[in-house]
This record gives sequence, C-alpha cells and structure tokens, in this order.
Amino acid sequence: MIQLHNVFLSYQNDVTALSNINLNVAKGEFVFLTGISGAGKSTLLKLLYGALKPSRGQILIDGENIIRLPASQIPFLRRKVGVVFQDFKLLPNRTVLENVALTLEVLGWGKKDIGKKVYHVLKQMGLEHKINSTPLRLSGGEQQRVALARALVNDPKIILADEPTGNLDEESREQILGILKGANIRGSTVVVASHDKKLIGNCHRRVITLDKGHIVEGSDAAK
Amino acid sequence: MPPSKPQKRPKLSREGFGGQLNYFLSRAVTNIRQNLFVNVLTIGTISLAILIVSLLLLVFVNLERVTDQWSERVQVTAYFDNELTPQELHTLKSKILSLNGTGKLEYVTKAVALQRFQARMKGQDALLEGVTADILPASLEIQLKKENRTGDSLKAYVDRLAKIQGIAEIQYGDDWVRRFNKFMDFMRVVGISLGCFLLLAVVFIVANTIKLTIYSRKEELELLSLVGATRCFIKMPFLIEGIIQGAAGSILAIAMLSSLYLGFLHNAGNFISFNPGEADLVFLPLSHLSGVFCGGILLGFMGSLTSLKRFINF
Ligand SMILES: Nc1ncnc2c1ncn2[C@@H]1O[C@H](COP(=O)(O)OP(=O)(O)O)[C@@H](O)[C@H]1O
Ligand SMILES: [Mg+2]
Repeated sequence: MIQLHNVFLSYQNDVTALSNINLNVAKGEFVFLTGISGAGKSTLLKLLYGALKPSRGQILIDGENIIRLPASQIPFLRRKVGVVFQDFKLLPNRTVLENVALTLEVLGWGKKDIGKKVYHVLKQMGLEHKINSTPLRLSGGEQQRVALARALVNDPKIILADEPTGNLDEESREQILGILKGANIRGSTVVVASHDKKLIGNCHRRVITLDKGHIVEGSDAAK
Repeated sequence: MPPSKPQKRPKLSREGFGGQLNYFLSRAVTNIRQNLFVNVLTIGTISLAILIVSLLLLVFVNLERVTDQWSERVQVTAYFDNELTPQELHTLKSKILSLNGTGKLEYVTKAVALQRFQARMKGQDALLEGVTADILPASLEIQLKKENRTGDSLKAYVDRLAKIQGIAEIQYGDDWVRRFNKFMDFMRVVGISLGCFLLLAVVFIVANTIKLTIYSRKEELELLSLVGATRCFIKMPFLIEGIIQGAAGSILAIAMLSSLYLGFLHNAGNFISFNPGEADLVFLPLSHLSGVFCGGILLGFMGSLTSLKRFINF
C-alpha cells in the first residue's frame, strides 16, 4: 500500500530531513513511526499525502507513483489518505459537524447522507452530544477525536496520524488508539507517528524507528 | 501481514450539478454572514468605486448630449442680394443638395425673414420702424449632416459652397464651433484617461480588499486542499462570493447615483446648456446602467480570481 524507495528530502535551508528511506507498508497493516523529536516523522508523513515532494526517490501509494502526479491529481490522492494533523487544523468558526463534514463535502456527498454519516462516526467516538459545539469549546482529547473523525469519516484506504496522543491523559490515549485500531480492522492501513514509548510498547505492532532522517529499525515487515 | 477485510463503503450519493451549485451558493452566503465585516468593507469599496466611475459616465453622457445639441445649431446660411425666382431657386437647391454633406435646406424669403425679425423684436416697436422686407436678405439655411458639422470638414464644405455662383455671402458659426469642438475633444481625452486611471485604481483597491477577505480564511483554504478538495471546489464559493459582492456593490452604487441625481444633479444642467427646455441632465440610459451592473459583477469576480491565485498554488 505504501512503498518508499531511496527517498531523500532536504528543506530549502539545506537541512536534510530524510535520507535514503526504504519502506514498505502492506495493505491493512498498522505501524508505528517513532524517533525523537526532529527525527523526521512529520516530514515522512507529509510526503505520503503529497504536501512535500522528495528531493530524490520514488513513492508509491496504492500502486500509484505519486512523484510524477500532476498538481490536479493531488486531491484524488488525498481522498484516499485520511490525515490527523499534529495541530488538528480544526476550523474554529465551524461546528464539529461542519468540520467533519468537510471531508465528505469535498467528495460531493449530499447533505442528508453527510449528516447521517457524520453523526454515526461521532457517535462511535462518543462525541455525538458535541455535534454543534465549536472546536474551541472542546477539551484537547475531544478536539483530537474530532480531527480523527474528519480523517476517517470517508473510510480512507490509508490513515496517517501525527502524534495523535500528543499530551493527552491516559484515558483519552486509550480511546484514540481504540478508534485507530477500529479503523484498521475495517480495512484502513494505519501509520501512527509517535514518540510515546509506553503507547507503542502496549500495542505489539511493527515499529519503524527514525533517527536523524534515517530508518534505523523496522523498514520492512519481513524482518 | 495482517488479513485485511474487504472494505465496506457506503453508497456514494453524488450530488448532481444543481446540488453542487446549491452547495457552493450556500457556502458563499454562509461565508459572507460569518465574515460580515470584511464583506461590508469589500461591498462598500466596490460601490464607492463604481459610484465614482458611473458619475464620470453620467457627466460624459451629458457632455456628449450637449455636443449633439450644439452641433445641431451649426447651420450654414447662404444669403442672396435679391429674391430668387422659382427657377433660380430650383437650380441652386439641386446644386447645393449635390454637395457632399448637405442635410436639409430651407429657403427663407424676405417676407419670412421680416416675420422672424419682428417676432424676435417683439415689444421693441421703435426698433422695427422703418424695417421693411426689402432691406432684409433672402437666404437658404443649410443643415449639415452630422459628420460635417465640425472643424475641418465644415470648413471644407463652406469652401465648396462658395464656388457655387449666385450666392452673395455665406455665414456660419465658424469660430465658436471650432473652439467648442476643440474643447469637447479635450474633454473626451481627459474623460477617457481619467476613466482608465480610475478603473485601474478601482481594480487595484478592490483586488486588495478581496485579498484581505481571503487572507482571513487562509486556514480554511489550506485545510480544504488537505482533505482532497479540487482547485475548482475551493475556488467556487469565493468566486460566487465575489460575484455577490460585485452585484451588491453595483446595486448600491446605482442607488446612490440615482438619489444623487434625483436630489440635485438633474437640474444642475442649467449651467451648461443653452435651451432651458433641454437643460436637465439626463440619467444614464438603461444600456449604460446594465453595463455598470455587469462591470461591478466582473469586478468582484476578477478580484476574487486574482486574489485566489496567490493562495492556491498546489
Ligand atoms: N518547514 C521546514 N523547513 C525547514 N526545516 C524543517 C521544516 N520542517 C521540519 N524541518 C526540520 O526537519 C527535521 C525533521 O522535522 P520533523 O519531520 O518535524 O521531525 P519530527 O516530526 O520527527 O519531530 C528537523 O530537523 C526540523 O528542524
Ligand atoms: Mg512531528
């Protein structure tokens, strides 16, 4: 589902954030991406949803080489990939319903179906009573779940989550991990970037470790 | 590799074109409501800009109208020493009519000339004493075709007319016509360049105001693109918003212009026209008004389009 081949990435200021990344994530897998802060986790995720282009190398998502993807095709890549951003990126002047609905509106869904589907997803996350609140009135854990709901409301093939358990309490972390596992069981391939050792330790999934832009462990499922 | 269950996808209820348009429209309206202040600012800017331009247009339309009225008065008169016999009149008339640029002809006999003179001097009988039809000349009044009423072509016409035998004297509004036409040409140049300059300034200001609206929603634009919105999908509500702003702005401007006109402009014309009956300034004709309206819409649309270019570059 996700394949990276000899991928390098440098930012404009000549910081080499990723070097010689070779990675293979199979369909339906659930993997962790770990490493200390600044190791390149966020950068790697950005490559996967087309927010950054690598300086060198090839990236295949769902069998498609996204390096040569014209700008007009990027939206269709992003519809396959649900992203939970480190900073949530919720729109403060929209309700929870409207925030989650965006993913479906973009697909051209009808209003009624959007309402039903969003309600359903929010209910799974125990947020149905907050459906008309605005994000700023929610706790950190609730905001994180709204961001999660927006990422997986269209059952994307791939879910990328950047530090989804950031600085949340124990209970919220478990809840969020549960939601991600649920999405994985329903068929999505999940990549979670996290430096939360305890969380990763409890999970028994493949762990890919990055250090200074290199993969030091777990680059392939068959290790 | 963990087994992956076949993915259960909900049936996609894609909306048709109408539904999409409806979505974009309601999105645009919500955007306007949620960003009322910037929108009021934009609409205000647009309407002020259009008001200035349409005021200029109003002045222009009226100046053109006055020019037309004035040039109608450009008339060449050929005087004769004696009354013409019907025979002479006939040959002269056909000669003059064959001249390029001749419009209407009217023969004024000595008797008619006297009548006119008397009519003009009404109440000043003392002056009329001793004036008989005999001392007034008979004349042919020549109305020129519109394109021959000005400057050089008028002069050329008069030269050609002078070559016809039997005409004692020719009079025409030589000097003042030329001066007036020069003035009008000058006014046209000033008006058009002022208009262009204004239009440029207006486009610039409006584009910047709209940029402000869009800048305040940068986050939203970015997020939409991240959840897979196509460029068209992101732009559409903004473009519709621009059209709404433009339409609202131009309606407001036309309303302001109308009240200005009805308030005091419509009888300000007394200063620039001769005939008190025709003195009133006319309002913009419907064609110009719809032009202004469409211009406003175009302004809002283009403003949004150019501002979006800055923010959508994926
Ligand atoms: N936009 C950017 N411009 C320049 N350097 C960046 C940018 N984003 C990240 N970096 C650098 O790239 C490296 C990897 O960053 P990041 O991927 O955010 O790490 P992580 O998510 O693992 O903490 C760091 O050294 C960081 O300073
Ligand atoms: Mg990071």
